[in-house]
Amino acid sequence: MKRLLPLAATGIYAFLHLPLLVLAVFSVNSSRFTLWEGFSLRWYQAAFQDQQLIEATVNSLLIAAVATAAAAVIGTLCAHALWKKDAPIITMSLSLSLVTPEIVAGISLLALFQWIFRFLNVHLGLHTVILAHVSFCISFVVIVVLARLRTFDNSLEEAAVDLGATEWQAFRHVTLPNLMPAIVSAALLAFTISFDDYVITSMVAGVDSETLPMVLYAIARRGANPMVNAISTIIVLGLGVMILASERLKES
Amino acid sequence: MISRRKTLFFLGLTGVAGCSRANRLRLNVFNWSNYVGENTLPAFEAETGIRVRYAIYESNEEMLARVMTGNSGWDVVFPSNYFIGPMREMELLAPLDHSRLGQLGNLDSIFQKPEWDRNLHWSMPYMWGSSGILFNTKSGPSPRTWAELWTSRFQGRMTMLDDPAEVFGAALKKLGRSLNASSERDLRAALQEALRQKPLLRAYLNAEVRDQIVAGDIAACQTWATTAQQAIDAAPHLHYVYPLEGYALYADCAALLRESRRADLAHQFLDYLLRADVAAGIVTYSRTATANAAARTRIPAAISSLKTLYPDSETLARGEWFAPLAAQAQRLRDRLWTELKSA
Amino acid sequence: MRRLRLLFLFPTASILLLLFAVPLGILLVYACMTRGAYGGTMPPFTGESWLRVLDPLYLGIVGRSFLVAGISTLICVVLGFPLALFISRSGPRKNLYLSLVMLPFWTSFLVRTYAWMFLLRDTGLINTALQSLGLIREPLPLLYNWWAVILGLVYGYLPFMVLPLFSTLERLDPALMEAAGDLGARPSQSLLRVLLPLSAPGIRAGAILVFIPCLGAYLTPDLLGGGRTILIGTLIQNQFSNSRDWPFGSAISLALMALVMVMLWIQVRRKGEPLL
Repeated sequence: MKRLLPLAATGIYAFLHLPLLVLAVFSVNSSRFTLWEGFSLRWYQAAFQDQQLIEATVNSLLIAAVATAAAAVIGTLCAHALWKKDAPIITMSLSLSLVTPEIVAGISLLALFQWIFRFLNVHLGLHTVILAHVSFCISFVVIVVLARLRTFDNSLEEAAVDLGATEWQAFRHVTLPNLMPAIVSAALLAFTISFDDYVITSMVAGVDSETLPMVLYAIARRGANPMVNAISTIIVLGLGVMILASERLKES
Repeated sequence: MISRRKTLFFLGLTGVAGCSRANRLRLNVFNWSNYVGENTLPAFEAETGIRVRYAIYESNEEMLARVMTGNSGWDVVFPSNYFIGPMREMELLAPLDHSRLGQLGNLDSIFQKPEWDRNLHWSMPYMWGSSGILFNTKSGPSPRTWAELWTSRFQGRMTMLDDPAEVFGAALKKLGRSLNASSERDLRAALQEALRQKPLLRAYLNAEVRDQIVAGDIAACQTWATTAQQAIDAAPHLHYVYPLEGYALYADCAALLRESRRADLAHQFLDYLLRADVAAGIVTYSRTATANAAARTRIPAAISSLKTLYPDSETLARGEWFAPLAAQAQRLRDRLWTELKSA
Repeated sequence: MRRLRLLFLFPTASILLLLFAVPLGILLVYACMTRGAYGGTMPPFTGESWLRVLDPLYLGIVGRSFLVAGISTLICVVLGFPLALFISRSGPRKNLYLSLVMLPFWTSFLVRTYAWMFLLRDTGLINTALQSLGLIREPLPLLYNWWAVILGLVYGYLPFMVLPLFSTLERLDPALMEAAGDLGARPSQSLLRVLLPLSAPGIRAGAILVFIPCLGAYLTPDLLGGGRTILIGTLIQNQFSNSRDWPFGSAISLALMALVMVMLWIQVRRKGEPLL
């Protein structure tokens, strides 16, 4: 078993990474097709010149950044409150929203916006997408932050209060600094999930809120396009760098 | 735009994205992929100063899902002819003002009074096409009928469109019935045919099939003429067939959404698309079939002679236009479609 | 003290209410209404859509979705367990190995599915390679079948299984396995009798996190299944697009939600790892 385990793990890692490696390799293939015809960066060039792709990427980054920031703040506060004392209804709702099938979440949000629009003159757009993303990112933040909080000693905050700090000060100066690494991990998770979401986004997106997954889906549906390989490679590398950087940040 | 600005302001992000454009007039157009030329929009923007926000979709359902809320922000969309009735009933469309569409006369006579919108009250025919069989000539002689897609000849190497109207339509044509036959007996007969065909099929694919038939994964497929033409342009050994039993015709029409508060600009845009030179430019670039008769004479012969896009009148006579189904029949067809997919 | 706590809970509570509870409530209202002639909803209120959910045709689809999600979850357990065990025993390299599991997950779901299409097609890499090696003559039909769908689901959700399993295994005392070995248990015995039962909470949590998204998946079955099959996710999506039957679509969505709630409830009742 000592030898079997690493072997199995290697196999599973290969299963997880080979498809992406293949994409990366073929993103620098000059041919459109699966035959190797030589090294070329033409698909990267094409991707960088595609106006629609660039706009969608900007939208995706903007949406993910705003939704992540909001979800990180809101989720951290909620986790802190739940840590002190459980609120069964909220815990249950959060778990439920975590496992709600995306298609159901998307459709119910679409129904909500459609209903609201009967009374308010607003359009689907970046704001509806951001709202939707905040709502599904919160539970991920709460999970990660709460898990970390549970390893903390509650008495530290109490001691601070005993020494005359207000509840807020105790949270702000005692717990929060120690919680930062967990919040960063949570934010990273939320960012990825938001950046990746297609099903919910596609239902609540309006004119100016086409996101990268939406454009990728449209391109992929029109057939194999090595441009998608190039963009995918950039996404993997970009997020990989982001993860490494945040690991470094946590260590230092 | 205003609401977006407010939101961004609310989020403390003013100035981050695109707000400098706020003062320019703009028009939001949602169209099928490959339906305008390279210069169509830039030329319109230069001429009028209107900024066009243009995005594309791949299916009527996708478009409808996006505009269904009635507050999507789009102004002009291009539903297929059989979607005009339903969208009108759903109160999504605004009537067109013919006094602002001076060049409506440029349309082909068959599109002047089409059966789906007699007076072009709600829609302006833009492009049209058919659903037929695209096949790889390297795989043998040309199929001539739908029935040949029910034989083992292309077993495991053919696809049908992923759309109930198209699959049941082809089955009905094979049975010698109308494309739009909607009695329970007709639809059930179509289901039986489709069920017989399913084991022979590789998949039900829409736009994805183009690349696969070009690459050689697939030998024959039911597809749209415009998609077929793109595939043929990439792989000349492909050939498009108008089946002998008859086939489906559709027209994608420009329509103005009721939610739009830019009807002026929208009409300006539609009238621009109606211009013979503009329409000809679009077709020259995108290699599609235009509903604009005046443009036909300006299209390079290399395109107007393409049988895939512009069939002769004898072939055209075999075609039948899609019509929307009544609610009851639509419901039955959806159910039968689910049965087909579950089988 | 309590004021601050309420203040901290307020944003989450209001978002949950407005963007989760109210939308589901609207679906509930829709599910009890009648389909308009061309889509949309209208009175009168009826239970018709609910009855249609019980139609054998749709129950069959639900059954099939359960089967596909179940198989995918099972494969995730089989693959996820050794991986989580390996990571939990890899000492200082733990974090690196864990990030390696997460890395594919950080890329777009669509991209991952797309990568598999690229590999599995008739003219894809696997078939091209096998053909050029002379192992096969005709390409194998790898894409557009059940197994392709299951493969895509396993690939997409495996990290959700590994993470909770890892955190359970990490907390186990390695001395337990050693003790089992010292007492004469063969490795396979100590694995089955000691390790597996002890990691049950992690497996349960992972199973829920994998099973439920698989149950509602609609992009993967669509893209990798080639439209030959229909699962609940696609059925729901169809009602809101092609069929324009909002009441029925709402009813299936809520039925699916009810199933999800039951599963969650069982998980909580069995005193397993709570999800939160």
